[in-house]
Amino acid sequence: MSKDSLALRLDGVTKRFGENTAVDSFDFEVPRGVICGLLGPNGSGKTTSIRMIMGILGPDEGSVSLFGEDPDVVRRTKVGYLPEERGVYKKMKCLELITFLGEIRGLRRGEARRRGGDWLDRMGLTEWVEKKVEDLSKGMQQKIQFIGTVIHEPELLILDEPFSGLDPINQDVLEEIVREYHEQGTTIVFSTHLMDQAERLCERVCLISKSKKVLDGDLKEIKAAERQGVVAVEFEGPDTWIQGPEIDRVERKEGSLRLILKDGQDHQQILNRAVASGARVVRFELIEPRLHEIFVRHAGEGLAGDIGMADRPRSASSNGIRHFGTV
Amino acid sequence: MWHNVLAVIRREYLQRVRSKWFIAATVAGPLLMAAVTVLPAWLAIQGERDEFKLAIVDGTGVLSERLVPRLENGGFEVEEVRWHADVVTELRERANGGDLGGFIMVDELTLETGEAIYYSMDVPSGLRRVTVQTSIARTALEYQLEQRGVDAGGLMGGGALEIEVISEAGSDITEVGFGLAYVGSFFLYMTILLYAVAVMRATLEEKTSRIVEVIISAMRPWELMLGKIVGVCAVSLTQMAIWISATAALVAGGIPMIIVARPELTNLSSINEIVPGISLVILFLGFFVFGFLMYSGLYAAVGAMCNTDEEAQQAQFPMIMLLIVPILMVMPVIQEPNTPMAVWLSLFPLFSPILMWARVAGGGVPGWQVLLSFILMALMVWVIAWIAGRIYKVGILMSGKRPTLPELWRWVKEA
Repeated sequence: MSKDSLALRLDGVTKRFGENTAVDSFDFEVPRGVICGLLGPNGSGKTTSIRMIMGILGPDEGSVSLFGEDPDVVRRTKVGYLPEERGVYKKMKCLELITFLGEIRGLRRGEARRRGGDWLDRMGLTEWVEKKVEDLSKGMQQKIQFIGTVIHEPELLILDEPFSGLDPINQDVLEEIVREYHEQGTTIVFSTHLMDQAERLCERVCLISKSKKVLDGDLKEIKAAERQGVVAVEFEGPDTWIQGPEIDRVERKEGSLRLILKDGQDHQQILNRAVASGARVVRFELIEPRLHEIFVRHAGEGLAGDIGMADRPRSASSNGIRHFGTV
Repeated sequence: MWHNVLAVIRREYLQRVRSKWFIAATVAGPLLMAAVTVLPAWLAIQGERDEFKLAIVDGTGVLSERLVPRLENGGFEVEEVRWHADVVTELRERANGGDLGGFIMVDELTLETGEAIYYSMDVPSGLRRVTVQTSIARTALEYQLEQRGVDAGGLMGGGALEIEVISEAGSDITEVGFGLAYVGSFFLYMTILLYAVAVMRATLEEKTSRIVEVIISAMRPWELMLGKIVGVCAVSLTQMAIWISATAALVAGGIPMIIVARPELTNLSSINEIVPGISLVILFLGFFVFGFLMYSGLYAAVGAMCNTDEEAQQAQFPMIMLLIVPILMVMPVIQEPNTPMAVWLSLFPLFSPILMWARVAGGGVPGWQVLLSFILMALMVWVIAWIAGRIYKVGILMSGKRPTLPELWRWVKEA
């Protein structure tokens, strides 16, 4: 893959804060036009990595390049950035704030104003144009922030935990816009600790844990590579065939049995044995591993609790049931 | 690059100028200043009218008949003293004994040209001076016209009043200069502090609301800091421009009204002594701008290194001290503007806006000292921008504990 086809490339990037290494020798490539998830538990180094991409922090070692060029040159006009901790000028009027954010991203004032007006119309905020940002609800403020992020039509969107704090309806709105930008050819990198969101949206994922990258690549390929090993079965009749040398252990889940195979074992023998035993098999399915499981497999069991669960109290208050549906 | 700085300046400027706070402060400012300065002056004049006792020695024998009622009309208590060889010595003694506020000598020359000698215990106010001078001149003029009906040009010109300060602790500073120096110093102190703190608060707000992260990803920290400081500076100059033009309009519109009310003040040349000149206004604005640039840089750094208002309140203490010290020195410096201490203190750049102004407005400061103070202030602006810019760059994205001094020094070195 030639460098020019990459929207983003991190090369051995390391960042330390005193004794603590926040990001450790991070290599990361994102081809143009894909949606890529940067996944990991809270405190794993996602935000620090993103801040280095955005030039807010300088790496202690390694380098960042955007579109094969010096990031300081192209960042301002080609990249849109939505930080995790989102701030606004509360006293500004909505359209003024958006215009200002467009201006500092290189748009001329009139153009920024015109686009800002269009966006507010599209987001159903027409009557709020002249209202102060502080008068808006939190959800509406987040929409304003998002408009400010994309007002200059960036080629690369960097979104840090974009879905956190949004109610389900606005999560859907945001997801739809992200897909739309993807279809237009925009490269999108977003960080999340919610595996389910990443699974639905991403073409590529990069998993980091404890400051180090643990897995990186095309999501379908990763899943294919991780696939063998789990079979869901439902059956009537004898169950003696469930024991065998291929099988590591058996779990009961969602009304069916999960047979977890030992490394490198084939499932075909088990099916043969089941048929031979006279059992009536109604389901015998190779289970695609969930991203969560893959992550846990690579990052260690100890982290399981952090992934996708950390948001639970916040989700409960914002009715974000989807946050923990898959865990 | 300048596109960003301009965007920040414009945002800062428009947000502030449109705010209710700005409008309120622009209206309330002069009222407050009037309450602080004009009210005591007015009260002083009222007091003067009640108490001031003046003696007149009429060498002509014809002037006092009309002059005494005229002066009494102007608010003085007047006593006529006959001329004799030792009259000056005698009246001096009475004045120094507290019996008289001063005395006026009129003679044949007064009849010709309107000139008289006014021996005064204190430095007479502009108003008192004008009252005495016009009273004498008008009286003489009247006499001349009545007696001869001939050329009264010298008198029509307004005459001249020679003042000789006779008290021991006399100073060569005029009352007007003193007022300008004193009031101006306080005004500089208040406005520099007010607007520098505004920069600090804005920085703190951007930091705590986290919008700074979006902005810093689009521009360098120094661009944001520069835009912020210039934006606030433009706001403050706008406010002062409004105040100055309002004052000018009041003076321009007010003088005719004063003349209608007090015809003895017709002599316009004496108004110039009360209203500061254009060059003094420009110097004042110069001291303000340089003072603001120095202190706003320091305050921006404080805003960037703190996380809460409380922390910022504590951290701004050194800056407050730097502003308080010259304010405490204003009186001694005005009274003795050319002692080595006054010269050196007023040349220290962080004190210059207040102390050099106090000396300049009082008068009698060599031009090279004023020039030098501006050069030193410009250098100081540069040094502060360098240090504060580095602290700002690191601090603006930092959260957690406020840095200690050694940590700050490391920021400056490493940034």
